[in-house]
Amino acid sequence: MSDGLSELKEEDVERLVRLIESLESSTFDYLHLEVGNLKVTIGKGAAPMSAPAVTAPDASAYVSPPPPAPVAAAPPAIETTLAGKHAADAAPAGTIEIKSQIMGMFYAQPEPGSPPFVSVGTEVKEDMTVCLIEVMKTFNAMTAGVKGVISEICVENAQLVEYGQVLFRVRPS
Amino acid sequence: MTIRRVLIANRGEIAVRVIRACQMLGIETVLATSEADREAMPAQLADRAVCIGAARSTDSYLNYRAIVTAAKATGCDAVHPGYGFLSEKPELADACASEGLIFVGPTGDHMRKMGNKIAARTLAHEAGVPTLPGSEKIGSAADAVEVAERIGYPVMLKAAAGGGGRGMKVIYDRSKLPDAFAAASAEAGSAFGDPTLYLERFIANARHIEVQLLGDKFGNVIHIGERDCSLQRRHQKVVEEAPAPGITETLRQEICKAAVGLARNIGYENAGTCEFIYDEDAKTFYFLEMNTRIQVEHPVSETITGIDLVQEQFRIAAGERLRFQQSDIVFRGHAVECRVNAEIPEQGFRPNAGLIQTWAPPMGPNIRLDTHCYPGYTVPIFYDSMLAKLIVYGSTRTEAIERMRRALELFTISGVGTTIPFLHFMMGRAEFIGGKVSTHLIDHVMPDFLSASRPAAEYSSRTQPLAVLEKR
Repeated sequence: MSDGLSELKEEDVERLVRLIESLESSTFDYLHLEVGNLKVTIGKGAAPMSAPAVTAPDASAYVSPPPPAPVAAAPPAIETTLAGKHAADAAPAGTIEIKSQIMGMFYAQPEPGSPPFVSVGTEVKEDMTVCLIEVMKTFNAMTAGVKGVISEICVENAQLVEYGQVLFRVRPS
Repeated sequence: MTIRRVLIANRGEIAVRVIRACQMLGIETVLATSEADREAMPAQLADRAVCIGAARSTDSYLNYRAIVTAAKATGCDAVHPGYGFLSEKPELADACASEGLIFVGPTGDHMRKMGNKIAARTLAHEAGVPTLPGSEKIGSAADAVEVAERIGYPVMLKAAAGGGGRGMKVIYDRSKLPDAFAAASAEAGSAFGDPTLYLERFIANARHIEVQLLGDKFGNVIHIGERDCSLQRRHQKVVEEAPAPGITETLRQEICKAAVGLARNIGYENAGTCEFIYDEDAKTFYFLEMNTRIQVEHPVSETITGIDLVQEQFRIAAGERLRFQQSDIVFRGHAVECRVNAEIPEQGFRPNAGLIQTWAPPMGPNIRLDTHCYPGYTVPIFYDSMLAKLIVYGSTRTEAIERMRRALELFTISGVGTTIPFLHFMMGRAEFIGGKVSTHLIDHVMPDFLSASRPAAEYSSRTQPLAVLEKR
């Protein structure tokens, strides 16, 4: 992958950055672009990879972008993390955080296979359901509690979220 | 069956205590914490902390569903409940069992058997353990009068679902019984959701003596000796010690044997405590209740035997056989524990949350401090007021008490008022030094404490002469 990246000129990188920025402000989760033998996949939110994927010209094995379907739930992390670290990322100015009201498993969609309640760019209202939090087979619908546009999804599908953990960021309208 | 990672469903000093045991055993720790405790010492010592809910314990530490979910999601194979909160609630033990998690404690069935005090009384009776003369269940004030006439006044009404002194009333004569019955029943109903009462003879000159037990999954039960916890205030223990002072070796063995018999009869597993009331006048003991968990005062038993009871809890839960036989347990010397609470003794032990500015605990040989406090820690308003347990060892009881007195003098805390002045006063009382302990001793000496008590500020300056002495 680093070999592929080194083939990119600086202006290519700049173009990619612009693509990422425009995706960020759009209502789309993924962008898959093929120009000649260059294939680029950029994803956001509940993406199969946490960072935007950039595939280089030799990516012949790359057939199609993985669907934004649930990632196989990773086995519980063996590595241990410290409390409160998840909230360390600074919130971009002007956004409001939607925090989890309870601890449990985060689900972005009503059931497996169906589209998520919200994506980046979705317009939400106070009483709109944004996700489900499961505690021992009990699913609790969480509402946005705020009016605006989802600007970031901070957690992954089927992940344990703590009480008070930031789930979404919303640009208020 | 091994335990690699455990979720600790508790807070404060006992969470720290369990983490320390895990560190020694090489078990990874995940702490379930409330929002109020997420920066507290246990959260920092644990390998990972998960905030399971809001500060109020009903939203966090009492939410067994959240605890089981957190344990599963973080890859734990076991749950340790500590004491209090869910430690004696069969719901958590049952949920762990059905979710394939090891519960570090007895089974839900053991808890159900011993949780209802009337049922526990019957089990004790079946095991040949003496119970106080009294009744099974009292249906009405008229029933109460009838039973009381039979066993003789004074009598005590107690809640079947009870604990912590609520729903308890002492009645000295017949005329007071109907009112007391109504009041106790209402109190039990609101405190425990069950107004059922029972009645027992009241022992005027009583001591509280309890036996530490360990049982494995193979039917082996041994005792780790007895403790005296007679120094109580409003049915809450204040000072505990092991062994119990001033009882004969024969009596000691009888009490321990009774406790082991009861636990063995129900196939008890893990750490537990059988509590007895000891009638100092008649020199007889009676079953009070069984606590199906590790107890606050467990360190005094650890101190005189060298056994780490929390580590043993993990070994038993993992399915190991007890590593000791009764004859392997050797008792040596004397241990005393004082509970240091954030309460102002001069003001009726008013709880006193806030920022701890100075925290300078005593240190040195044979002094142990179990705590979650440090300078700069803010004692939250949501939970109990215990800050620390100070435990000292001495080769004799006299030596232990003297060491405790000194250790309390050297314990400097500022920012929050504490019970240290009162504990220090107790350590100097002739009754306590002489082993004349009873459940009424604290009430009896309280007027003396209040008349002799000085302002808190003056107390902390009392450590200064000692400092001068050391410099010489």
